[in-house]
Amino acid sequence: MAKRPQLMAYATLSLISAYCALPFFWAALASFDGNASLFLKWPEDWTTANYTRIFTVENGLTWFMNSLIVVGAATVLTMVLGGLGGYALSRSNAWWKRPFLYTILLIRVVPPPALIVPLYKVLLTANRAVQEVLRAVLPPDMLRPAMRVFGLVDGYLGMILILTALQLPLALWILKTFFDTVSRDYDEAALLDGASLMQRIRLVLLPLALPGLAAAGLFAFISAWGDFLMPLIFISSPELQMLPLGLFRAFLRVNTVDWGFLTALAVLYMVPSVVAFGFARGFLVRTFGGGVKG
Amino acid sequence: MTYQSRAQWQLRLILLPSAALLLALVIWPALYAVWLSFTNAALVGPGAANPRFVGLRNYARLVGDGDFWNSLMVTGLFVLGSAIIGQFVLGLVSAVLLNRPLRFRAVFNAIILLPNAVPEVVAGFLWISMLAGGERGVLSRIVMGLGLQPQDWLNTFPLTMIIVVNTWRGIATAMILLTAGLSSVPKEVHEAAVMDGAKPGQIFRMITLPLILPTIFLYMLISTVSTISIFGFVYALTRGGPGGATEILGIYLYNQSFTAYQLGYGAAVAVVSLVFSLIVGVIYVRALKVEV
Repeated sequence: MAKRPQLMAYATLSLISAYCALPFFWAALASFDGNASLFLKWPEDWTTANYTRIFTVENGLTWFMNSLIVVGAATVLTMVLGGLGGYALSRSNAWWKRPFLYTILLIRVVPPPALIVPLYKVLLTANRAVQEVLRAVLPPDMLRPAMRVFGLVDGYLGMILILTALQLPLALWILKTFFDTVSRDYDEAALLDGASLMQRIRLVLLPLALPGLAAAGLFAFISAWGDFLMPLIFISSPELQMLPLGLFRAFLRVNTVDWGFLTALAVLYMVPSVVAFGFARGFLVRTFGGGVKG
Repeated sequence: MTYQSRAQWQLRLILLPSAALLLALVIWPALYAVWLSFTNAALVGPGAANPRFVGLRNYARLVGDGDFWNSLMVTGLFVLGSAIIGQFVLGLVSAVLLNRPLRFRAVFNAIILLPNAVPEVVAGFLWISMLAGGERGVLSRIVMGLGLQPQDWLNTFPLTMIIVVNTWRGIATAMILLTAGLSSVPKEVHEAAVMDGAKPGQIFRMITLPLILPTIFLYMLISTVSTISIFGFVYALTRGGPGGATEILGIYLYNQSFTAYQLGYGAAVAVVSLVFSLIVGVIYVRALKVEV
């Protein structure tokens, strides 16, 4: 007997899935289509030329490498700072622990667009200071390349620090709750054996904290990788351009929109975050609440 | 000094870099925004060189600014349409249906999660194709199949369309949270109701729904806060247009500061949205009864 509720369930889920999947079909098909257009169609001229064009004709490689450097560094920094800070927040019994944790939770609700104006002014001032210091210690012809790395506005360092600051509250929270589940006996024992702080972290806590660090790192990566606002505001040099802006600017070239190239770039851009998301799935529920249990 | 007090000091030391970074790049800018909002700071012109204290003038202007109220209204409808209704309803339906034994459960699950992983600008880009005007766009072809007229979607129904796109992005979040809520409903309660002869609809209304109400409330808070923060995909899709129809708060903030160059006024808008988000945030923290 075909059960009607069962059929209804399949029909409903299929509709929702179609809604979710349809946009991806267009991108996937068009990226392999020699005559790609804005419209969904089956390619008649299958090709991989759209993908090779990203790296040969356009600056795709530059965008990809910049995104990888900046987001990669921000992810690692978030894991290091989040790991150390999360451990401290879990073990500390100082009076400021509670206010600190509430502050982290509240920072998570701050909308980034509300921060860009003051952040821009603050970083512009700090950037001038960095420039003065570099000018004093470096030969003049080294100044520009050095500013590209250490600049706080239109430089790698600034972008890395901004993305880290935005991901850090969640990472601190995940790792704090994670370390709460790790028994204090381990660190007490190591402490009594005379292990230094660095030894305790390296030999005892790091191996225990790996799942927590993985979760924090994956979420930081996904969110920083997808961020559009901060590169839009803080990066202007073409040689520092990252994937989101590369894609965005390429589809603003109204007259010569190359849909094959754009969809190939979009696919390339989303693959790392989709893969990371696949790994992060199992951790998703626990992070929402910071305390939702079950 | 005992080894324990030394260990406590070391804890402060290793927390310091995180605290410094958050102080420098989040808390200090937020406080600085409050100061800026009382000045006539600008990116160009006299306000750029020597910002002056102008008291509440920016706020007075804000109250009289039709664009600001329009943006609040658009943001409110955007949150209501996508986070409160669209994502929630479809997320709840998906969670309930996928909570029972079905074939291809993992496949449905993966497909529904997929949009959540997409970078903001890619989301906007993909939907430019779906919502393209004329008879060849995907949405137009679908409605034509239902016997309706094709439209230039982003121009005719701009706000509805960004709600559709945001719903698409967020079904997964609602589904994940609500699935967690559903799995905490004890099986025995459900079985007892079946024994008593309750219909599935009744069970859902009288038992499941009340039991997952706290999860629903939590979801509403989280999604409201995260929807207010949205900027990227709407900017990529419409840049706030046409005529301010999709100028949500994030885009209004950006436009005021970086295209109108009025930092002081932009900061006033920022402060208002900060205050609003913090209010929702405090409710959220209290509702969670977070143990720290």
